[in-house]
Amino acid sequence: MKGIDGAVYEIHGMAALAARDKWINRIHPLVKLLLTLGYIGAVVSFSRYDIIGLIGLAVYPVAGFLLGDLSLKEGCRRMRFVLPLVCLTGLPNLFLDRRQVLFWGVKVGAGLFSMLTLAGKGVLTVFASYILIATTSLDKLCYALRLLHVPRALVTQFMLTYRYVTVLLEEAGRMVQAYTLRAPGQKGIRFKVWGSLTGLLLLRGMDRAENVYQSMLLRGWGTDYGYQKGRVPLRVWDILYFLFWAGIIAVFSLCPVLPILGDLIGGILI
Amino acid sequence: MSHIRIDVDDLFFGYEKENDILKGISFHARESESVGIIGENGAGKSTLLKLLVGLYGQYRGCIRIEDIPVEKSTLSVIRSRIGYVFQDSESQLFMNTVYEDIAFAPRNYGLPEQEVEKRVERALKMTGAERLKEKQIYKLSGGEKKLAAIATVLSMTPDILLMDEPSGALDPQNRRNLIRILNSFGHLKVIASHDLDMVLDTCQRAVLMYRGRIVKDGPAEEILTDRELLEAHGLELPLCLQGRSGGLRKT
Repeated sequence: MKGIDGAVYEIHGMAALAARDKWINRIHPLVKLLLTLGYIGAVVSFSRYDIIGLIGLAVYPVAGFLLGDLSLKEGCRRMRFVLPLVCLTGLPNLFLDRRQVLFWGVKVGAGLFSMLTLAGKGVLTVFASYILIATTSLDKLCYALRLLHVPRALVTQFMLTYRYVTVLLEEAGRMVQAYTLRAPGQKGIRFKVWGSLTGLLLLRGMDRAENVYQSMLLRGWGTDYGYQKGRVPLRVWDILYFLFWAGIIAVFSLCPVLPILGDLIGGILI
Repeated sequence: MSHIRIDVDDLFFGYEKENDILKGISFHARESESVGIIGENGAGKSTLLKLLVGLYGQYRGCIRIEDIPVEKSTLSVIRSRIGYVFQDSESQLFMNTVYEDIAFAPRNYGLPEQEVEKRVERALKMTGAERLKEKQIYKLSGGEKKLAAIATVLSMTPDILLMDEPSGALDPQNRRNLIRILNSFGHLKVIASHDLDMVLDTCQRAVLMYRGRIVKDGPAEEILTDRELLEAHGLELPLCLQGRSGGLRKT
């Protein structure tokens, strides 16, 4: 019961976060979407042993958290199911990649590096996506997707699925509540009623989803996001923001910035 | 001069073949009339309202709104003139904040942002819900949701207002507020309800439905005080008239 309510609350919480009037929230959604896609592309294109290079790219999510006034702790909590998964994806490399490399004069298994790099890539891409959805409302995101000529049907599916998940969770919460109140002292839901509860949940969820859809239709919804056009103008600031971050991502992807910095600092110290 | 009216002639409709829910409905409503559609549960009130806005397509008979037949090709015109308030407010509200939800329709109709804002402000003022403007939908109480749902359709400045069981789950104060809003809406309104007290307070005309048919259509005061007629069709006298020998209360 708490779990379902908590999930609904978190979905609404994310929506509230995206609806805030922060500077980064006002950046054009297309700019943020393109930067996020570009950033993810840059992160995954790094060599599987280049963990040092990858560290440099952490500047984007770090800046995102700071500019968006987002809590890292809250971000980690919200991504608690995804983060362990992405961290564990590289685990097999530890056993499969048995080569040895020299690291500061010490022999280390290459598998360890590739595992850490993969985990790093996962964490950075998850945080970049989190920053995007925490600073951009779903409507604006859909609008940006349409600007990229993503098919209307696909964008509509995406938007309605999001709405449907909330509706389904709310219905599930009510049903579980009704069950619990008539089954005191029982832990969880008895296996025997799972079938009927699931069936009923689907029917009720569909019914409510249909009502929501009808309500949208009655208020002029035409399955497109053209109405946003006047609302989200592309400003000079948006272009500057895009150019700045595109430049930073390109520099950190193409040049070994951290080793150069290290050499520079080392040179100065010597 | 606008000719706002609803014309329904010989309307038949069923969700399943050979099982009609509406059986030969005919009724006509004119500008600035307030019509209460009353009847027991399952009489077909909600279905009739949904047919008026074209939410169900496969009907037999004729439905015309301002002389425009309700069919697929005319739906966008018809829906831009009708405001429909759902029985379940939760289904009506789907954006994040009250402001966003009220602005949804004007934005869809391509109005400039300044006009959208004006309309939202006006709709909030009409419903007395200014304080809810920035509130998130999931934080609203039942009564607040109803007010917000009404505001979402008022922002469309509709010529016709359709309401399905508007007083359900409202406390007395919110119910009084709702009656005030309905009485201040000067255009044609059709209210489907079995809250006969509210129909008495808001409608001059009542249409009594029973098992998919209209059994009586006339002045609300006449129909709603006819104990025999109401009881024969699964209803009771309005609460304000029960226990009295007759006569209407003064409001």
